[in-house]
Amino acid sequence: MVNDNRDLGAYFLGLCRLASSQASGDTDMCEEEEPPTELNTINSAGGFSVVSPDKLSVQYTSANLHGHDVGVVQANRPAPVKRLVYYFELYVKSAGAKGQISIGFTNEGFKMRRQPGWEANSYGYHGDDGLLYRGHGKGETFGPTYTSGDIVGGGINYASQEFFFTKNGTVVGTLNKEVKGPLYPTIAVHSQNEEVSVNFGKQPFKFDVKAFEVQERMKLQLTIENLSLPQNVSYGIVRSYLLHYGYEETLNSFDMASKSTVPPISIAQENGFNEQDNMYALSQRKTLRQLIRNGEIDAAICKLRDWYPQIVQVECLKLHDGRSATCFLLHCQKFIELVRVGELEEAVKYGRTELSNFFELAGFEDLVKDCVALLAYEQPQKSSVGYLLEDSQREVVADTVNAMILSTNPNMKDSQGCLYSYLERLLRQLTACSLERRSLNGDQGEAFHLHRVLNSGNKG
Amino acid sequence: MSLFWIVFRQLQEFESMATSKKVITREEWERKLSDVKIRKEDMNKLVMNFLVTEGYVDAAEKFRRESGTEPDIDLATITDRMAVKKAVQCGNVEDAIEKVNDLNPEILDTNPQLFFHLQQQRLIELIRNGKVEEALEFAQEELAPRGEENQSFLEELERTVALLAFEDVSNCPVGELLDISQRLKTATEVNAAILTSQSHEKDPKLPSLLKMLIWAQNQLDEKAAYPRIKDLSTAMLEDPAV
Repeated sequence: MVNDNRDLGAYFLGLCRLASSQASGDTDMCEEEEPPTELNTINSAGGFSVVSPDKLSVQYTSANLHGHDVGVVQANRPAPVKRLVYYFELYVKSAGAKGQISIGFTNEGFKMRRQPGWEANSYGYHGDDGLLYRGHGKGETFGPTYTSGDIVGGGINYASQEFFFTKNGTVVGTLNKEVKGPLYPTIAVHSQNEEVSVNFGKQPFKFDVKAFEVQERMKLQLTIENLSLPQNVSYGIVRSYLLHYGYEETLNSFDMASKSTVPPISIAQENGFNEQDNMYALSQRKTLRQLIRNGEIDAAICKLRDWYPQIVQVECLKLHDGRSATCFLLHCQKFIELVRVGELEEAVKYGRTELSNFFELAGFEDLVKDCVALLAYEQPQKSSVGYLLEDSQREVVADTVNAMILSTNPNMKDSQGCLYSYLERLLRQLTACSLERRSLNGDQGEAFHLHRVLNSGNKG
Repeated sequence: MSLFWIVFRQLQEFESMATSKKVITREEWERKLSDVKIRKEDMNKLVMNFLVTEGYVDAAEKFRRESGTEPDIDLATITDRMAVKKAVQCGNVEDAIEKVNDLNPEILDTNPQLFFHLQQQRLIELIRNGKVEEALEFAQEELAPRGEENQSFLEELERTVALLAFEDVSNCPVGELLDISQRLKTATEVNAAILTSQSHEKDPKLPSLLKMLIWAQNQLDEKAAYPRIKDLSTAMLEDPAV
């Protein structure tokens, strides 16, 4: 018997809470960042250029005399980072006297009288020479020059940590992004009568950003698909999942079918799957799951009393561990089933005798309150606590009982083994690695959401 | 030592400091792991998707009942698809072609490469069974015209016909065509084409996710030392080497 049962209880109560928060729709909270929408007129350089009233165009009105009178303007906000790609465009209305126009990215403390790229932590693609400047006054060969009538764009690819620039809808080049902090889309004009306007996405872009994103995703997907897996590893993971949760009938069909495949699949010996631990009490776990899934909670409790009296003793309630959570969830489910079939009086009676004990217990009171709240609605399915009447709630209860039974296995070393199937451990690791990597990258790039990956119909 | 070397050394030192990896202990990592919430229904969907795509129709049906997970495809179509696959695996290519056409004639019409590979498999089976005359006739009448349309088809055809030139095919350079793996290859191709025609992904999602895990771990290795899972089949965390 695993001593560390507290984890177990906490885990499944946590799952219930997750279900309730999903029901109220506050999980898939998108971390939307405000993108830049216009030019920053407060911070722009004094007197060399004029920003139009719509804050989307700039004109250089004076005559330039030296390198410190650039008409440079940043966007009102830094480029958003929690996405695959950020992109904006600039249209050259007039190249003016010398066409010393540039587009790029600068950091917060950028000196607002210099071309983007001339100073540290800034990057700029310049129109008069087509050079790329990064951090100092000497440019490097990059792309074509641009002038009146051209549309150029600047972008950040967060997946590859690169900048890219476009001219008239085509990428002209990319370079590594070494700087970490927030970056402002920046444009500059630097000779008389130069006039440009920016597009932060309000108008359609000349460059097909969507197609670019698709292409970048494909590239990444291809890299990943080309990795190789040990033979039959997916098969083994599915099989251990069925064993773990006691889906015995599925397992039997699965095994039958795989015996007749060509060539036959055998994994048990060659891979390290631990058969015996997973086979533990398989058919009992299956029976209990079936009963709970059918809403026959009394029968399930009865069987549990016969087979595993240690799990459902009356005094369990005081133990405040996995056992009390199991009892609690079973009682709640019984209550829920009574509500489902409309036996409200019976439900009230049951609640008074069985659920009232849990009212003051920390960790339990949320679910008790939600259960009781079912009584308040004429159509509880449609209420905010309607999640309790869904199949998934029965599944949570069944999973709890399953884990508790696994924990009675003398060979089980820790509660992790009762809680998590191999599949779940791998998916957790995948999620944690993706999150950690993103956080080490300054939270740049798209967040990884398993749920989203699974529900996207990417046809390959 | 020249000034250059002094500066260079310092730069190197600086670089190694900058690239020193973040170390995440097992305790910290386990805390992060326990913050990750995986929905049971998502895992169920993943398993169902595997059963369906790989063609475990009975298991999929049972799993629907045992877990309440709805399959993302009509289960009846799996039976038909698996019958085609099995026919190819057993060498009954004519039968397989008929079944595919019963299922949806567009599959072969719009997929000349698949059709060619099936016909090629048919030729291989004729040769395997020693029906030399029939094989030659079939190659000339059915396959050669297709070869004219496509250079790579022609090369494949020549490679296959070369089987006839050897007394002992088991030892000849094109002997692999007679191997069971060639049947499996063709069967996989048909299977994928049928799935695509049913607007379903041709591969299950689970292997892709496992590859993503390998990739994500490799990526994170560059920045941090942390407990990783080396062996997917045991899903065991191994302590970081510090």
